[in-house]
Amino acid sequence: MVHRIMAAYKARLLEFDALLKEETIDVGRLRDLCFSGVPDEGGRRALCWKLLLHYLPLDRTQWNDTLNKKRAQYNHFVEEMVVEPARLSKNGSGNNHVDDHPLNPNPESQWGSFFKDNEVLAQIDKDVRRLCPDIMFFQRGTQFPCEVIVNDPEVERLHRRVTHSSLTATAVTRKGLGITKLEASNRRSAQTEDYHPLPPGSEAHWEVVERILFIYAKLNPGQSYVQGMNEIIGPIYYTFANDPNIAFRENAEADCFWCFISLMGEIRDFFIRTLDDSESGIGAMMERLMSNLRHHDHQLWNRLRTQELRPQFFSFRWLTLLLSQEFDLPDVIRVWDSLFADANRFQLPDPSLHSNDGIAKRCYAAERFWLQYENSAALPSGGCPGTAQQSH
Amino acid sequence: MAKKTYDLLFKLLLIGDSGVGKTCILFRFSDDAFNTTFISTIGIDFKIKTIELRGKKIKLQIWDTAGQERFHTITTSYYRGAMGIMLVYDITNAKSFDNIAKWLRNIDEHANEDVEKMILGNKCDMEDKRVINKEKGESIALEHGIRFLETSAKANINIEQAFLELAEAILNKTPGRDPQENPESVVRPDRRNDRGTARQCCA
Ligand SMILES: Nc1nc2c(ncn2[C@@H]2O[C@H](COP(=O)(O)OP(=O)(O)OP(=O)(O)O)[C@@H](O)[C@H]2O)c(=O)[nH]1
Ligand SMILES: [Mg+2]
Repeated sequence: MVHRIMAAYKARLLEFDALLKEETIDVGRLRDLCFSGVPDEGGRRALCWKLLLHYLPLDRTQWNDTLNKKRAQYNHFVEEMVVEPARLSKNGSGNNHVDDHPLNPNPESQWGSFFKDNEVLAQIDKDVRRLCPDIMFFQRGTQFPCEVIVNDPEVERLHRRVTHSSLTATAVTRKGLGITKLEASNRRSAQTEDYHPLPPGSEAHWEVVERILFIYAKLNPGQSYVQGMNEIIGPIYYTFANDPNIAFRENAEADCFWCFISLMGEIRDFFIRTLDDSESGIGAMMERLMSNLRHHDHQLWNRLRTQELRPQFFSFRWLTLLLSQEFDLPDVIRVWDSLFADANRFQLPDPSLHSNDGIAKRCYAAERFWLQYENSAALPSGGCPGTAQQSH
Repeated sequence: MAKKTYDLLFKLLLIGDSGVGKTCILFRFSDDAFNTTFISTIGIDFKIKTIELRGKKIKLQIWDTAGQERFHTITTSYYRGAMGIMLVYDITNAKSFDNIAKWLRNIDEHANEDVEKMILGNKCDMEDKRVINKEKGESIALEHGIRFLETSAKANINIEQAFLELAEAILNKTPGRDPQENPESVVRPDRRNDRGTARQCCA
Protein backbone atom coordinates (compact mmCIF):
# COMPACT_ATOMS: atom_id res chain seq x y z
CA MET A 1 0.00 0.00 0.00
CA VAL A 2 2.64 2.47 1.08
CA HIS A 3 4.67 1.29 -1.83
CA ARG A 4 1.87 2.04 -4.26
CA ILE A 5 1.41 5.54 -2.89
CA MET A 6 5.14 6.21 -3.16
CA ALA A 7 5.17 4.98 -6.73
CA ALA A 8 2.24 7.20 -7.64
CA TYR A 9 3.96 10.16 -6.01
CA LYS A 10 7.18 9.53 -7.90
CA ALA A 11 5.25 9.28 -11.13
CA ARG A 12 3.68 12.61 -10.33
CA LEU A 13 7.05 14.23 -9.74
CA LEU A 14 8.19 12.93 -13.11
CA GLU A 15 5.10 14.31 -14.76
CA PHE A 16 5.88 17.77 -13.40
CA ASP A 17 9.52 17.48 -14.40
CA ALA A 18 8.72 16.39 -17.92
CA LEU A 19 6.26 19.22 -18.35
CA LEU A 20 8.62 21.84 -16.95
CA LYS A 21 11.42 20.68 -19.22
CA GLU A 22 9.52 21.26 -22.44
CA GLU A 23 10.73 24.12 -24.56
CA THR A 24 7.28 25.62 -24.62
CA ILE A 25 5.22 24.76 -21.61
CA ASP A 26 1.70 23.56 -22.19
CA VAL A 27 -0.27 25.87 -19.93
CA GLY A 28 -3.40 23.75 -19.99
CA ARG A 29 -1.47 20.73 -18.82
CA LEU A 30 0.34 22.86 -16.24
CA ARG A 31 -2.97 24.07 -14.83
CA ASP A 32 -4.33 20.53 -14.68
CA LEU A 33 -1.32 19.26 -12.80
CA CYS A 34 -1.07 22.18 -10.39
CA PHE A 35 -4.77 22.14 -9.62
CA SER A 36 -4.43 19.02 -7.53
CA GLY A 37 -1.39 20.36 -5.72
CA VAL A 38 2.23 21.00 -6.57
CA PRO A 39 4.73 18.71 -4.81
CA ASP A 40 6.79 20.49 -2.17
CA GLU A 41 10.10 19.10 -3.34
CA GLY A 42 12.66 20.57 -5.65
CA GLY A 43 11.37 24.10 -6.01
CA ARG A 44 8.63 22.92 -8.34
CA ARG A 45 6.00 25.03 -6.67
CA ALA A 46 8.04 28.25 -6.91
CA LEU A 47 8.56 27.59 -10.60
CA CYS A 48 4.93 26.70 -11.28
CA TRP A 49 3.67 29.80 -9.49
CA LYS A 50 6.03 31.99 -11.52
CA LEU A 51 4.48 30.51 -14.64
CA LEU A 52 0.88 30.59 -13.47
CA LEU A 53 1.25 34.22 -12.39
CA HIS A 54 2.60 35.11 -15.83
CA TYR A 55 5.97 36.22 -14.52
CA LEU A 56 7.91 33.61 -16.48
CA PRO A 57 6.89 33.19 -20.12
CA LEU A 58 5.81 29.76 -21.32
CA ASP A 59 8.72 29.75 -23.76
CA ARG A 60 11.64 28.43 -21.75
CA THR A 61 14.24 29.98 -24.04
CA GLN A 62 13.08 33.39 -22.84
CA TRP A 63 13.45 32.68 -19.14
CA ASN A 64 16.97 33.96 -18.69
CA ASP A 65 16.27 37.17 -20.53
CA THR A 66 13.11 37.81 -18.57
CA LEU A 67 14.68 37.09 -15.23
CA ASN A 68 17.73 39.23 -15.91
CA LYS A 69 15.70 42.12 -17.15
CA LYS A 70 13.11 42.03 -14.38
CA ARG A 71 15.61 41.59 -11.60
CA ALA A 72 17.72 44.47 -12.88
CA GLN A 73 14.64 46.62 -13.07
CA TYR A 74 13.68 45.79 -9.51
CA ASN A 75 17.16 46.54 -8.26
CA HIS A 76 16.87 49.87 -9.97
CA PHE A 77 13.65 50.56 -8.04
CA VAL A 78 15.39 49.70 -4.80
CA GLU A 79 18.21 52.07 -5.60
CA GLU A 80 15.93 54.91 -6.64
CA MET A 81 13.15 54.58 -4.07
CA VAL A 82 14.86 53.15 -1.02
CA VAL A 83 18.62 53.73 -1.11
CA GLU A 84 18.83 57.26 -2.48
CA PRO A 85 16.15 58.82 -0.25
CA ALA A 86 17.72 57.02 2.70
CA ARG A 87 21.07 58.69 2.02
CA LEU A 88 19.33 62.03 1.80
CA SER A 89 17.58 61.48 5.11
CA LYS A 90 20.76 60.41 6.82
CA ASN A 91 22.62 63.50 5.69
CA GLY A 92 19.68 65.67 6.61
CA SER A 93 19.44 64.39 10.14
CA GLY A 94 23.20 64.84 10.48
CA ASN A 95 22.88 68.61 10.42
CA ASN A 96 19.71 68.77 12.46
CA HIS A 97 17.42 70.29 9.87
CA VAL A 98 14.98 67.43 9.81
CA ASP A 99 12.44 68.87 12.20
CA ASP A 100 11.99 71.97 10.04
CA HIS A 101 11.10 70.13 6.95
CA PRO A 102 7.56 69.04 7.68
CA LEU A 103 6.81 72.78 7.80
CA ASN A 104 8.11 73.30 4.30
CA PRO A 105 5.08 74.77 2.53
CA ASN A 106 6.03 73.42 -0.87
CA PRO A 107 4.17 70.14 -1.29
CA GLU A 108 6.44 69.20 -4.18
CA SER A 109 9.55 69.41 -2.06
CA GLN A 110 11.66 66.31 -1.74
CA TRP A 111 11.22 66.51 2.01
CA GLY A 112 7.49 66.79 1.71
CA SER A 113 7.30 63.54 -0.21
CA PHE A 114 9.81 61.94 2.10
CA PHE A 115 7.57 62.55 5.07
CA LYS A 116 4.48 61.51 3.20
CA ASP A 117 6.21 58.25 2.36
CA ASN A 118 6.97 57.77 6.01
CA GLU A 119 3.27 57.76 6.84
CA VAL A 120 2.76 54.90 4.41
CA LEU A 121 5.81 53.20 5.82
CA ALA A 122 4.48 53.47 9.35
CA GLN A 123 1.46 51.37 8.39
CA ILE A 124 3.54 48.88 6.40
CA ASP A 125 5.95 48.53 9.29
CA LYS A 126 3.16 47.71 11.74
CA ASP A 127 1.82 45.02 9.45
CA VAL A 128 4.98 43.27 8.34
CA ARG A 129 5.85 42.83 11.99
CA ARG A 130 2.58 40.98 12.41
CA LEU A 131 2.99 38.74 9.37
CA CYS A 132 2.48 35.00 9.99
CA PRO A 133 3.39 35.15 13.68
CA ASP A 134 2.52 31.47 14.07
CA ILE A 135 5.64 30.38 12.21
CA MET A 136 9.27 31.24 12.86
CA PHE A 137 10.26 32.50 9.46
CA PHE A 138 9.72 36.19 8.85
CA GLN A 139 11.58 37.06 12.05
CA ARG A 140 14.71 35.26 10.85
CA GLY A 141 17.66 36.68 8.94
CA THR A 142 17.82 36.23 5.18
CA GLN A 143 20.57 34.32 3.50
CA PHE A 144 21.15 37.04 0.91
CA PRO A 145 20.63 40.44 2.50
CA CYS A 146 20.48 43.48 0.27
CA GLU A 147 24.15 44.47 0.47
CA VAL A 148 23.85 48.16 -0.21
CA ILE A 149 21.25 48.52 2.53
CA VAL A 150 22.69 46.39 5.29
CA ASN A 151 26.34 47.36 4.95
CA ASP A 152 26.35 51.06 4.13
CA PRO A 153 26.02 53.10 7.33
CA GLU A 154 24.95 56.08 5.22
CA VAL A 155 21.80 54.24 4.21
CA GLU A 156 19.02 54.40 6.72
CA ARG A 157 16.82 51.31 6.89
CA LEU A 158 13.15 51.67 6.10
CA HIS A 159 12.03 50.78 9.61
CA ARG A 160 14.39 53.42 10.99
CA ARG A 161 12.63 56.01 8.89
CA VAL A 162 9.38 55.10 10.58
CA THR A 163 10.86 55.63 14.00
CA HIS A 164 12.17 58.90 12.75
CA SER A 165 8.89 60.22 11.48
CA SER A 166 6.92 59.35 14.58
CA LEU A 167 9.47 61.25 16.65
CA THR A 168 9.16 64.24 14.39
CA ALA A 169 5.40 64.15 14.60
CA THR A 170 5.59 64.00 18.37
CA ALA A 171 7.85 67.00 18.54
CA VAL A 172 5.48 69.04 16.39
CA THR A 173 2.40 68.08 18.37
CA ARG A 174 4.03 69.02 21.58
CA LYS A 175 5.07 72.36 20.20
CA GLY A 176 1.51 73.00 19.10
CA LEU A 177 0.16 72.38 22.57
CA GLY A 178 2.77 74.53 24.21
CA ILE A 179 4.21 71.70 26.19
CA THR A 180 7.91 72.35 26.53
CA LYS A 181 9.10 69.07 27.92
CA LEU A 182 10.56 67.31 24.90
CA GLU A 183 12.39 64.74 26.90
CA ALA A 184 10.83 61.75 25.19
CA SER A 185 11.76 62.89 21.71
CA ASN A 186 15.20 61.34 21.73
CA ARG A 187 13.83 57.93 22.38
CA ARG A 188 13.32 55.29 19.79
CA SER A 189 9.77 54.13 19.46
CA ALA A 190 8.53 50.69 20.39
CA GLN A 191 9.94 47.66 18.72
CA THR A 192 7.89 44.55 18.73
CA GLU A 193 9.86 42.00 20.60
CA ASP A 194 9.93 39.17 18.12
CA TYR A 195 10.22 41.15 14.95
CA HIS A 196 13.15 43.30 16.02
CA PRO A 197 15.68 44.54 13.47
CA LEU A 198 18.78 42.42 13.09
CA PRO A 199 22.34 43.73 13.55
CA PRO A 200 24.20 45.53 10.72
CA GLY A 201 25.15 43.22 7.90
CA SER A 202 21.92 41.24 8.07
CA GLU A 203 18.22 41.75 7.66
CA ALA A 204 15.11 39.79 8.53
CA HIS A 205 12.59 38.48 6.01
CA TRP A 206 9.97 40.93 7.27
CA GLU A 207 12.28 43.77 6.24
CA VAL A 208 12.37 42.38 2.73
CA VAL A 209 8.58 42.24 2.62
CA GLU A 210 8.52 45.81 3.94
CA ARG A 211 10.72 46.91 1.04
CA ILE A 212 8.58 45.16 -1.57
CA LEU A 213 5.41 46.73 -0.18
CA PHE A 214 6.98 50.16 0.03
CA ILE A 215 8.15 50.05 -3.58
CA TYR A 216 4.72 48.85 -4.65
CA ALA A 217 3.12 51.75 -2.80
CA LYS A 218 5.53 54.22 -4.42
CA LEU A 219 4.76 52.87 -7.87
CA ASN A 220 1.01 52.94 -7.26
CA PRO A 221 0.45 56.24 -5.47
CA GLY A 222 -3.29 56.17 -6.14
CA GLN A 223 -3.75 52.93 -4.29
CA SER A 224 -0.64 53.06 -2.12
CA TYR A 225 -0.50 50.47 0.66
CA VAL A 226 -3.64 48.82 1.96
CA GLN A 227 -3.64 46.49 4.94
CA GLY A 228 -3.82 42.91 3.82
CA MET A 229 -1.38 43.26 0.94
CA ASN A 230 1.23 41.91 3.34
CA GLU A 231 -0.84 38.75 3.66
CA ILE A 232 -0.86 38.35 -0.12
CA ILE A 233 2.92 38.65 -0.36
CA GLY A 234 3.58 36.36 2.60
CA PRO A 235 2.94 32.93 1.04
CA ILE A 236 4.63 33.88 -2.25
CA TYR A 237 7.72 35.23 -0.60
CA TYR A 238 7.89 32.27 1.77
CA THR A 239 7.72 29.87 -1.17
CA PHE A 240 10.38 31.69 -3.19
CA ALA A 241 12.75 32.30 -0.29
CA ASN A 242 12.77 28.57 0.47
CA ASP A 243 13.52 27.50 -3.09
CA PRO A 244 16.28 24.87 -2.99
CA ASN A 245 17.67 26.33 -6.21
CA ILE A 246 20.15 28.89 -4.96
CA ALA A 247 19.93 31.19 -7.98
CA PHE A 248 16.18 31.47 -7.47
CA ARG A 249 16.47 31.80 -3.72
CA GLU A 250 18.97 34.60 -4.07
CA ASN A 251 16.48 36.53 -6.17
CA ALA A 252 13.39 35.71 -4.13
CA GLU A 253 12.75 39.39 -3.40
CA ALA A 254 12.75 40.62 -7.00
CA ASP A 255 10.84 37.60 -8.30
CA CYS A 256 8.27 37.90 -5.52
CA PHE A 257 7.84 41.59 -6.28
CA TRP A 258 6.94 40.90 -9.91
CA CYS A 259 4.62 38.04 -9.06
CA PHE A 260 2.91 40.25 -6.51
CA ILE A 261 2.51 43.02 -9.12
CA SER A 262 1.01 40.53 -11.50
CA LEU A 263 -1.35 39.08 -8.91
CA MET A 264 -2.41 42.54 -7.74
CA GLY A 265 -3.17 43.37 -11.35
CA GLU A 266 -5.96 40.81 -11.08
CA ILE A 267 -7.28 41.50 -7.59
CA ARG A 268 -6.40 45.13 -6.94
CA ASP A 269 -9.99 46.33 -7.13
CA PHE A 270 -10.77 44.48 -3.89
CA PHE A 271 -8.39 46.85 -2.16
CA ILE A 272 -9.83 50.08 -3.48
CA ARG A 273 -12.51 51.60 -1.32
CA THR A 274 -14.00 53.77 -4.02
CA LEU A 275 -14.62 50.65 -6.09
CA ASP A 276 -16.42 48.80 -3.29
CA ASP A 277 -19.77 49.05 -5.03
CA SER A 278 -18.56 48.83 -8.60
CA GLU A 279 -18.84 45.77 -10.79
CA SER A 280 -15.26 44.69 -10.01
CA GLY A 281 -15.21 45.76 -6.36
CA ILE A 282 -15.45 43.71 -3.21
CA GLY A 283 -19.12 44.56 -2.53
CA ALA A 284 -20.21 43.11 -5.84
CA MET A 285 -17.97 40.09 -5.30
CA MET A 286 -19.55 39.35 -1.94
CA GLU A 287 -22.98 39.65 -3.46
CA ARG A 288 -22.11 37.31 -6.29
CA LEU A 289 -20.59 34.83 -3.86
CA MET A 290 -23.84 34.74 -1.93
CA SER A 291 -26.01 34.41 -4.99
CA ASN A 292 -23.77 31.60 -6.21
CA LEU A 293 -24.10 29.95 -2.86
CA ARG A 294 -27.84 30.38 -2.92
CA HIS A 295 -27.93 28.73 -6.30
CA HIS A 296 -25.64 25.80 -5.51
CA ASP A 297 -26.35 25.17 -1.85
CA HIS A 298 -29.62 26.66 -0.84
CA GLN A 299 -29.65 24.97 2.54
CA LEU A 300 -26.33 26.45 3.58
CA TRP A 301 -27.29 29.85 2.22
CA ASN A 302 -30.49 29.74 4.21
CA ARG A 303 -28.71 28.74 7.37
CA LEU A 304 -26.32 31.68 7.08
CA ARG A 305 -29.26 33.96 6.49
CA THR A 306 -31.32 32.81 9.46
CA GLN A 307 -28.29 33.09 11.72
CA GLU A 308 -27.67 36.58 10.39
CA LEU A 309 -24.18 35.67 9.31
CA ARG A 310 -23.79 38.43 6.80
CA PRO A 311 -21.22 37.99 4.04
CA GLN A 312 -19.18 40.93 5.33
CA PHE A 313 -18.40 38.97 8.49
CA PHE A 314 -16.46 36.32 6.66
CA SER A 315 -16.29 36.69 2.91
CA PHE A 316 -14.84 40.20 2.91
CA ARG A 317 -11.63 38.85 4.38
CA TRP A 318 -11.78 35.57 2.46
CA LEU A 319 -12.00 37.31 -0.88
CA THR A 320 -9.64 40.19 -0.18
CA LEU A 321 -6.92 37.97 1.21
CA LEU A 322 -7.58 34.91 -0.97
CA LEU A 323 -8.22 32.86 2.18
CA SER A 324 -4.69 33.50 3.45
CA GLN A 325 -5.80 34.38 6.99
CA GLU A 326 -8.07 31.39 7.35
CA PHE A 327 -5.61 28.52 7.42
CA ASP A 328 -2.08 27.71 8.47
CA LEU A 329 0.54 28.64 5.93
CA PRO A 330 1.12 25.17 4.43
CA ASP A 331 -2.60 24.83 3.82
CA VAL A 332 -2.86 28.31 2.36
CA ILE A 333 -0.09 27.41 -0.04
CA ARG A 334 -1.92 24.26 -1.05
CA VAL A 335 -5.15 26.17 -1.63
CA TRP A 336 -3.25 28.68 -3.74
CA ASP A 337 -1.88 25.90 -5.97
CA SER A 338 -5.44 25.25 -7.04
CA LEU A 339 -6.45 28.86 -7.10
CA PHE A 340 -3.57 29.99 -9.31
CA ALA A 341 -4.12 26.97 -11.54
CA ASP A 342 -7.69 28.00 -12.23
CA ALA A 343 -8.15 29.81 -15.53
CA ASN A 344 -11.04 31.82 -14.04
CA ARG A 345 -9.32 32.23 -10.73
CA PHE A 346 -10.74 35.52 -9.50
CA GLN A 347 -14.06 35.54 -11.24
CA LEU A 348 -17.41 34.85 -9.76
CA PRO A 349 -19.74 33.90 -12.54
CA ASP A 350 -23.37 34.74 -12.78
CA PRO A 351 -25.01 31.79 -10.97
CA SER A 352 -27.49 31.28 -13.79
CA LEU A 353 -24.57 30.21 -15.99
CA HIS A 354 -24.19 27.08 -13.87
CA SER A 355 -20.51 27.18 -13.23
CA ASN A 356 -18.54 27.60 -10.09
CA ASP A 357 -14.88 28.12 -10.58
CA GLY A 358 -11.90 29.77 -9.01
CA ILE A 359 -12.15 31.52 -5.70
CA ALA A 360 -15.86 30.74 -5.41
CA LYS A 361 -15.26 27.02 -5.22
CA ARG A 362 -12.64 27.49 -2.54
CA CYS A 363 -15.03 29.69 -0.60
CA TYR A 364 -17.82 27.12 -0.70
CA ALA A 365 -15.42 24.59 0.70
CA ALA A 366 -14.47 27.02 3.43
CA GLU A 367 -18.10 27.80 4.23
CA ARG A 368 -18.97 24.12 4.45
CA PHE A 369 -16.00 23.60 6.67
CA TRP A 370 -17.03 26.42 8.97
CA LEU A 371 -20.43 24.98 9.35
CA GLN A 372 -18.98 21.61 10.29
CA TYR A 373 -16.64 23.31 12.71
CA GLU A 374 -19.54 25.09 14.28
CA ASN A 375 -21.54 21.90 14.60
CA SER A 376 -18.77 19.72 15.92
CA ALA A 377 -17.40 22.40 18.26
CA ALA A 378 -14.08 20.62 18.31
CA LEU A 379 -11.58 21.76 15.76
CA PRO A 380 -9.68 19.18 13.76
CA SER A 381 -6.06 20.15 14.16
CA GLY A 382 -4.48 21.52 11.04
CA GLY A 383 -7.21 20.19 8.83
CA CYS A 384 -8.97 22.15 6.17
CA PRO A 385 -11.49 21.22 3.56
CA GLY A 386 -10.07 18.88 0.99
CA THR A 387 -6.71 20.51 0.63
CA ALA A 388 -3.41 19.45 2.09
CA GLN A 389 -4.24 15.80 2.24
CA GLN A 390 -4.50 15.47 -1.49
CA SER A 391 -1.08 16.75 -2.37
CA HIS A 392 0.81 13.58 -1.58
CA MET B 1 -32.73 23.79 20.62
CA ALA B 2 -30.12 24.99 23.09
CA LYS B 3 -31.39 26.55 26.30
CA LYS B 4 -30.80 30.23 26.72
CA THR B 5 -27.59 30.59 28.68
CA TYR B 6 -27.67 34.32 29.35
CA ASP B 7 -30.07 37.05 30.45
CA LEU B 8 -28.87 39.93 28.30
CA LEU B 9 -26.90 40.41 25.14
CA PHE B 10 -24.74 43.52 24.76
CA LYS B 11 -23.03 44.42 21.52
CA LEU B 12 -19.77 46.28 21.91
CA LEU B 13 -17.45 47.75 19.31
CA LEU B 14 -13.73 48.45 19.42
CA ILE B 15 -12.43 51.26 17.23
CA GLY B 16 -9.22 53.27 16.88
CA ASP B 17 -6.15 53.61 14.67
CA SER B 18 -4.37 50.58 13.31
CA GLY B 19 -1.82 49.12 15.71
CA VAL B 20 -3.11 50.70 18.93
CA GLY B 21 -3.84 47.24 20.32
CA LYS B 22 -7.58 46.66 19.80
CA THR B 23 -7.18 42.98 18.97
CA CYS B 24 -4.79 42.48 21.89
CA ILE B 25 -7.21 44.13 24.29
CA LEU B 26 -10.05 41.94 23.11
CA PHE B 27 -7.89 38.85 23.28
CA ARG B 28 -6.72 39.65 26.78
CA PHE B 29 -10.31 40.05 27.88
CA SER B 30 -11.75 37.00 26.13
CA ASP B 31 -8.89 34.54 26.53
CA ASP B 32 -6.78 36.14 29.24
CA ALA B 33 -3.69 35.88 27.09
CA PHE B 34 -1.35 38.20 25.27
CA ASN B 35 0.45 37.60 22.02
CA THR B 36 3.18 40.05 21.13
CA THR B 37 2.23 39.64 17.54
CA PHE B 38 -1.18 39.43 16.03
CA ILE B 39 -2.20 39.36 12.45
CA SER B 40 -3.70 42.69 11.48
CA THR B 41 -7.46 42.82 11.42
CA ILE B 42 -8.94 42.93 7.96
CA GLY B 43 -12.49 44.20 7.87
CA ILE B 44 -14.19 43.07 11.03
CA ASP B 45 -13.93 40.29 13.58
CA PHE B 46 -15.61 39.41 16.85
CA LYS B 47 -15.44 37.50 20.10
CA ILE B 48 -17.99 36.44 22.65
CA LYS B 49 -17.61 36.50 26.38
CA THR B 50 -20.21 36.01 29.05
CA ILE B 51 -19.87 37.96 32.28
CA GLU B 52 -21.94 38.27 35.39
CA LEU B 53 -23.11 41.63 36.65
CA ARG B 54 -25.53 42.15 39.55
CA GLY B 55 -26.64 38.56 39.33
CA LYS B 56 -27.36 38.77 35.62
CA LYS B 57 -25.57 36.72 33.01
CA ILE B 58 -24.58 39.08 30.25
CA LYS B 59 -23.32 37.90 26.93
CA LEU B 60 -20.93 40.37 25.38
CA GLN B 61 -20.62 40.22 21.63
CA ILE B 62 -17.54 42.29 20.94
CA TRP B 63 -16.71 43.51 17.47
CA ASP B 64 -13.09 44.22 16.61
CA THR B 65 -12.63 46.52 13.64
CA ALA B 66 -9.76 47.28 11.30
CA GLY B 67 -8.13 50.64 11.87
CA GLN B 68 -7.19 51.63 8.35
CA GLU B 69 -9.29 54.11 6.40
CA ARG B 70 -9.88 51.62 3.59
CA PHE B 71 -12.14 49.51 5.79
CA HIS B 72 -14.37 52.29 7.03
CA THR B 73 -17.26 51.50 4.70
CA ILE B 74 -17.39 48.03 6.18
CA THR B 75 -16.73 48.97 9.78
CA THR B 76 -19.02 51.97 10.12
CA SER B 77 -21.99 49.81 9.22
CA TYR B 78 -21.53 48.13 12.61
CA TYR B 79 -21.73 51.36 14.62
CA ARG B 80 -25.51 51.43 14.44
CA GLY B 81 -26.04 48.16 16.28
CA ALA B 82 -23.48 48.84 18.99
CA MET B 83 -24.61 49.57 22.53
CA GLY B 84 -21.12 50.42 23.71
CA ILE B 85 -18.06 51.68 21.87
CA MET B 86 -14.47 51.59 23.07
CA LEU B 87 -12.22 54.10 21.37
CA VAL B 88 -8.61 53.09 21.75
CA TYR B 89 -5.43 55.10 21.30
CA ASP B 90 -1.81 54.20 21.99
CA ILE B 91 -0.04 56.28 24.64
CA THR B 92 3.24 55.86 22.74
CA ASN B 93 1.78 57.14 19.48
CA ALA B 94 0.77 60.81 19.31
CA LYS B 95 -1.01 60.45 16.02
CA SER B 96 -3.38 57.83 17.37
CA PHE B 97 -4.31 60.31 20.10
CA ASP B 98 -4.79 63.19 17.66
CA ASN B 99 -7.16 61.01 15.68
CA ILE B 100 -9.57 60.65 18.61
CA ALA B 101 -11.48 63.66 17.34
CA LYS B 102 -11.91 61.94 13.98
CA TRP B 103 -13.14 58.73 15.60
CA LEU B 104 -15.58 60.65 17.79
CA ARG B 105 -16.99 62.31 14.68
CA ASN B 106 -17.43 58.86 13.18
CA ILE B 107 -19.40 57.80 16.24
CA ASP B 108 -21.61 60.89 16.00
CA GLU B 109 -22.31 60.18 12.38
CA HIS B 110 -22.91 56.45 12.48
CA ALA B 111 -23.80 55.26 15.98
CA ASN B 112 -26.98 55.48 18.03
CA GLU B 113 -27.25 58.68 19.97
CA ASP B 114 -27.42 56.96 23.33
CA VAL B 115 -24.45 54.64 22.75
CA GLU B 116 -22.16 54.31 25.77
CA LYS B 117 -18.63 55.45 25.00
CA MET B 118 -15.27 54.90 26.61
CA ILE B 119 -11.77 56.08 25.72
CA LEU B 120 -8.84 53.77 26.40
CA GLY B 121 -5.18 54.85 26.41
CA ASN B 122 -3.52 51.51 25.74
CA LYS B 123 0.08 50.24 26.17
CA CYS B 124 0.47 51.99 29.53
CA ASP B 125 3.08 49.37 30.43
CA MET B 126 5.48 51.23 28.14
CA GLU B 127 6.17 54.12 30.47
CA ASP B 128 9.54 54.90 28.87
CA LYS B 129 7.99 55.25 25.42
CA ARG B 130 5.04 57.31 26.57
CA VAL B 131 4.32 60.50 24.60
CA ILE B 132 0.76 61.17 25.76
CA ASN B 133 0.48 61.76 29.45
CA LYS B 134 -2.50 60.56 31.40
CA GLU B 135 -3.85 64.06 32.01
CA LYS B 136 -4.22 64.64 28.30
CA GLY B 137 -6.31 61.52 27.97
CA GLU B 138 -8.40 62.42 30.99
CA SER B 139 -9.04 65.93 29.78
CA ILE B 140 -10.19 64.96 26.30
CA ALA B 141 -12.52 62.38 27.88
CA LEU B 142 -13.84 64.95 30.32
CA GLU B 143 -14.37 67.43 27.53
CA HIS B 144 -16.65 64.98 25.76
CA GLY B 145 -18.15 63.54 28.92
CA ILE B 146 -16.81 60.07 28.26
CA ARG B 147 -15.33 57.48 30.61
CA PHE B 148 -11.56 57.02 30.44
CA LEU B 149 -9.01 54.42 31.49
CA GLU B 150 -5.40 53.75 30.74
CA THR B 151 -4.92 50.08 29.90
CA SER B 152 -2.31 47.53 29.04
CA ALA B 153 -3.24 44.37 27.20
CA LYS B 154 0.29 43.15 27.76
CA ALA B 155 0.51 43.67 31.51
CA ASN B 156 -3.22 43.08 31.99
CA ILE B 157 -3.97 46.47 33.47
CA ASN B 158 -7.58 47.67 33.57
CA ILE B 159 -8.70 45.45 30.71
CA GLU B 160 -11.39 43.58 32.58
CA GLN B 161 -12.35 46.71 34.42
CA ALA B 162 -12.85 48.58 31.15
CA PHE B 163 -15.27 46.01 29.80
CA LEU B 164 -17.09 45.68 33.11
CA GLU B 165 -17.50 49.44 33.44
CA LEU B 166 -18.84 49.74 29.95
CA ALA B 167 -21.21 46.80 30.45
CA GLU B 168 -22.37 48.26 33.75
CA ALA B 169 -23.13 51.60 32.12
CA ILE B 170 -25.23 49.84 29.51
CA LEU B 171 -26.94 47.74 32.16
CA ASN B 172 -27.89 50.88 34.06
CA LYS B 173 -29.80 52.04 31.03
CA THR B 174 -31.63 48.78 30.46
CA PRO B 175 -33.49 47.95 33.66
CA GLY B 176 -34.98 44.50 33.62
CA ARG B 177 -34.68 44.18 29.89
CA ASP B 178 -35.06 40.74 28.44
CA PRO B 179 -32.87 39.51 25.69
CA GLN B 180 -34.52 40.25 22.39
CA GLU B 181 -31.91 38.51 20.38
CA ASN B 182 -32.24 34.97 19.35
CA PRO B 183 -29.46 33.03 21.08
CA GLU B 184 -28.93 31.14 17.85
CA SER B 185 -27.91 34.28 16.03
CA VAL B 186 -24.51 34.26 17.57
CA VAL B 187 -21.33 34.15 15.65
CA ARG B 188 -18.13 32.39 16.45
CA PRO B 189 -14.76 33.97 17.07
CA ASP B 190 -11.93 34.07 14.62
CA ARG B 191 -10.56 30.66 14.01
CA ARG B 192 -6.90 31.32 13.46
CA ASN B 193 -6.55 33.46 16.55
CA ASP B 194 -8.21 30.77 18.54
CA ARG B 195 -5.74 28.19 17.53
CA GLY B 196 -2.96 30.65 18.24
CA THR B 197 -3.92 30.71 21.88
CA ALA B 198 -4.51 27.06 22.15
CA ARG B 199 -0.98 26.53 21.03
CA GLN B 200 0.31 29.19 23.37
CA CYS B 201 -1.22 27.51 26.37
CA CYS B 202 0.37 24.21 25.51
CA ALA B 203 3.80 25.76 25.02
N1 LIG C 1 3.66 46.96 25.14
C1 LIG C 1 2.43 46.74 24.69
N2 LIG C 1 2.23 46.41 23.41
C2 LIG C 1 0.97 46.20 22.99
C3 LIG C 1 -0.15 46.31 23.85
N3 LIG C 1 -1.25 46.03 23.14
C4 LIG C 1 -0.85 45.77 21.88
N4 LIG C 1 0.49 45.86 21.77
C5 LIG C 1 1.30 45.66 20.57
O1 LIG C 1 0.78 46.47 19.53
C6 LIG C 1 0.74 45.76 18.27
C7 LIG C 1 -0.57 45.96 17.58
O2 LIG C 1 -1.61 45.38 18.33
P1 LIG C 1 -2.99 44.90 17.65
O3 LIG C 1 -3.89 44.47 18.76
O4 LIG C 1 -2.73 43.95 16.56
O5 LIG C 1 -3.50 46.30 17.03
P2 LIG C 1 -4.92 46.65 16.37
O6 LIG C 1 -5.39 47.91 17.00
O7 LIG C 1 -5.83 45.49 16.47
O8 LIG C 1 -4.50 46.95 14.84
P3 LIG C 1 -5.35 46.73 13.47
O9 LIG C 1 -5.87 45.35 13.49
O10 LIG C 1 -4.36 46.96 12.37
O11 LIG C 1 -6.43 47.78 13.44
C8 LIG C 1 1.00 44.30 18.60
O12 LIG C 1 2.12 43.87 17.89
C9 LIG C 1 1.20 44.22 20.09
O13 LIG C 1 2.41 43.55 20.38
C10 LIG C 1 0.10 46.65 25.23
O14 LIG C 1 -0.79 46.78 26.08
N5 LIG C 1 1.41 46.86 25.58
MG1 LIG D 1 -6.63 44.25 15.08
